[in-house]
Amino acid sequence: MRESTLMQMQYVTAVLAVLLVGVHLLMQGVLVPYGEAVSFQRVLSVYRDAVDGALLEILLVVVLAHGFNGLRTILIEWRQTPSWTRGVNWAVLVAALATMAYGTRTVILAATGQVS
Amino acid sequence: MAGWFDPRRTNIERWAYTFQRVTGLAVLAYVVAHIGDTSFFVGGPFGEGPSRASWAAGLSVTESLLGHLVLVMVVLVVVYHGINGVRLILSEYGVIFDKPSRPDYPYRAKSLRAVQRHLIWVAIVGAILAALYSGGLLLG
Repeated sequence: MRESTLMQMQYVTAVLAVLLVGVHLLMQGVLVPYGEAVSFQRVLSVYRDAVDGALLEILLVVVLAHGFNGLRTILIEWRQTPSWTRGVNWAVLVAALATMAYGTRTVILAATGQVS
Repeated sequence: MAGWFDPRRTNIERWAYTFQRVTGLAVLAYVVAHIGDTSFFVGGPFGEGPSRASWAAGLSVTESLLGHLVLVMVVLVVVYHGINGVRLILSEYGVIFDKPSRPDYPYRAKSLRAVQRHLIWVAIVGAILAALYSGGLLLG
């Protein structure tokens, strides 16, 4: 993917992240009391609500895409050789996908798993 | 990377750039850790579904004075990164810049509008106020 396309993606994910993280922060203490926001029942109801659960998954993907692409940008500016750039591109892609997969697993298990 | 913190010949935009990168790295580190700690809602890496016991065990670590201090710092850096990031996007698309003109003495960039610089202070003050508010909620 061209660097200019990745930078456009960085701006799009930034705007989405500002909106989604803003809502996420407001739900953790401002609109919902903090103690209630982290209670088991409340968290369960968020994961099991179709809209709230989907928003959490979108938040996960958007923030990780933005964060890991930002890390990639810093690393390829730090050292500028073709092999370093290739290595960073692959390493960051793998790390981002692995973290997304782990977070998505939490969302799916929380939404569908047996409560114990 | 050491150049980020070189205080020579810098202006507030340069410091805003440095802090955008430092806060970005800090937020990414927190997000990865947060994905790890929220996985304890479903029993951690080997869990199979929502678990009251596992979530309570996870909260016993994060719901502490140190955990809450970390959250306040996270609010500080997230709000700064977000507001300053909006400034950078508006700058990138020229929204808060005037058209460049001939440079005359004292050679200050005429394309830089005051609103651009004011937004840096909005980011700093906004982040401090948000951190104070969250500190009041979590530590008060």
